[in-house]
Amino acid sequence: MKKLAFISSFTFAAIMVISCGGDVQREPGRTYMPDMAESRAYETYKDHSNLSKKGVSYNNEPVTGTVSRGEELPYHLLNDSTGYNASRSVVNPLPRLNQIEMTEAERLYLINCAICHGSNLNGNGPLYKDGQGPYPAKPATLVGDPKIEALPDGTLFHVITYGKNLMGSYAAQLNRKQRWMVAQYIKSKQSKSTGTNPMAAIPQGDTTRSVTTK
Amino acid sequence: MTRDRRLTKTLIKTLILNLVILIFSFSNSLYAQNGQALFSQNCASCHAVHKDLTGPALAGVEERWGDKDRLYAWIRNNQAVLKSGDKYANELYLKWNKTPMNLFPNLKDEEIASILTYIKSVPDPKAGGNAAGAAGATAGQQDGGDNTLLYGILTLILAVVALILLQVNSNLKKLSDEKEHIPSLEPVPFWRNKAYIAMFTILLFCIGGYLTVKGAIGLGRSQGYQPEQPIYYSHKVHAGTNQISCLYCHGGAQESKHANIPSLNVCMNCHMAINEYNGKEKIYKEDGTEVNGTAEIQKLYKYAGYDPAVSKVWDPNKAKPVEWVRIHNLPDHVYFNHSQHVKAGKVACQTCHGEIQKMDEVHQFSDLSMGWCINCHRTTQVQFKENGFYSIYQKFHEDLQNGKIDKEKGITVEKIGGTECQKCHY
Repeated sequence: MKKLAFISSFTFAAIMVISCGGDVQREPGRTYMPDMAESRAYETYKDHSNLSKKGVSYNNEPVTGTVSRGEELPYHLLNDSTGYNASRSVVNPLPRLNQIEMTEAERLYLINCAICHGSNLNGNGPLYKDGQGPYPAKPATLVGDPKIEALPDGTLFHVITYGKNLMGSYAAQLNRKQRWMVAQYIKSKQSKSTGTNPMAAIPQGDTTRSVTTK
Repeated sequence: MTRDRRLTKTLIKTLILNLVILIFSFSNSLYAQNGQALFSQNCASCHAVHKDLTGPALAGVEERWGDKDRLYAWIRNNQAVLKSGDKYANELYLKWNKTPMNLFPNLKDEEIASILTYIKSVPDPKAGGNAAGAAGATAGQQDGGDNTLLYGILTLILAVVALILLQVNSNLKKLSDEKEHIPSLEPVPFWRNKAYIAMFTILLFCIGGYLTVKGAIGLGRSQGYQPEQPIYYSHKVHAGTNQISCLYCHGGAQESKHANIPSLNVCMNCHMAINEYNGKEKIYKEDGTEVNGTAEIQKLYKYAGYDPAVSKVWDPNKAKPVEWVRIHNLPDHVYFNHSQHVKAGKVACQTCHGEIQKMDEVHQFSDLSMGWCINCHRTTQVQFKENGFYSIYQKFHEDLQNGKIDKEKGITVEKIGGTECQKCHY
């Protein structure tokens, strides 16, 4: 009898404990003496707004006159129709990508472009899905549309940099080299479908500069 | 003979006529069927039927233009119509920020007609679809049911049954004792019953011990932490349903220490156009209240400083950062680098963050304790294959075997980057 009472009350208590622990946890866990847990230096995503009050000079914009790595040779064309038309004559500064670099370019395309333009460049990515997806406008058909296939590397680069119509700028997500790589990847896919070789039009340029895939 | 020849002649004639009619009607029906295809091929990049995109919504376009010839001329070559000084056309051009429309000189009359027929045939999504939505809501609520209450009630019933049985047992014992004339002892009240007191003490000790140990281990850890964010952002909708790669928004994970919270321009890449949530699945908060996805997108627009009613062009300079609540936090005495794990280690995001693509509101999946890190490092195999990060080791291995490197001297720490400044000074 005592055994039975013991077991029943114990299970009851155990279930109470378990069921109380199942709530949504909106507060972080408690800490006790957080030694060296907080950085004394200002870290990424810390509140920077009060720094000027403390007399620390802080400006979240790049220092004027500096260029971040990989962004040498500033792109001179502006985001307007003149710039768009002039982009036609800008040549791809990268030498022809080798196998490994092309795989990297494909990976970049699949991450950043394929959600709209489709993994096989048919303009039917998961965001559009023949109009079933949430994106209301049909993304450009990169392979198979003569209007798009007529665009040279330079224009593709210009559009990736600044965006066009409803497409936004990808300059924040892809650096300059990556944008040229993606442009070259798209051209290579187009040439495969039509049989022409646009690579012939690309000057080989400085072959000593290698493309480092990050 | 002549009769036969005449017969064949008429036969051939009717056959040709039939063929011509057939081709004609076939091509006609082809146009009708292809209205949608033509629309998708030529117009859908900039126009939708019931929604303003780069260009205006096309529903009712024929009524707005009135004159069929003018509309057809506009579709084929809008620049020529603008130059001719057409008042409506020029007003339209100004209203849409002088965005030039593409020229379609090769579209035939039938093709334009079939496109217009298709436009008319598309129903307004705002008019219908409420019934389906309601059905979805009830289904969702059934899914979201919690079993905790059920378990609680079951436990309570079992406890009551156990108590009753105990009572019955003692009563029966009393009865049988009376029958056999065994004098029953004076009943001891339960608060002085030693067995009960012992049981209670042990129970208190067990539960108290469990809670104390659990709390002590959990100090400084936040497993399961699921804060409410300033905007209800569903990873399930974005990374699950819409299959957006994690690296699309968190590209920093492959390039730097931090995985990066995307800036507003990354959100606006898609949300310039996607301004309402009309997914098939309803979205819910953890407490079960339904979330209005469209209202959450409006919150994003408020942060971005974008008002489609004022201007279709978004000025990123007006944006204010969204103050997301940070979930995963490591103490400063631990160095953790995302790119090391994602790029060199080739670890999937889900290994540490759990099935993010199935979480509406994200919670901390791992406890991020040292034991958890160490256990993973003990069992995870290094992926040497096709991994540029480790290719140098393979090269050293070969060079050692070929005798290119002096075996006496071996490979020094310097060779694997031991004298790089950043090894010590970072």
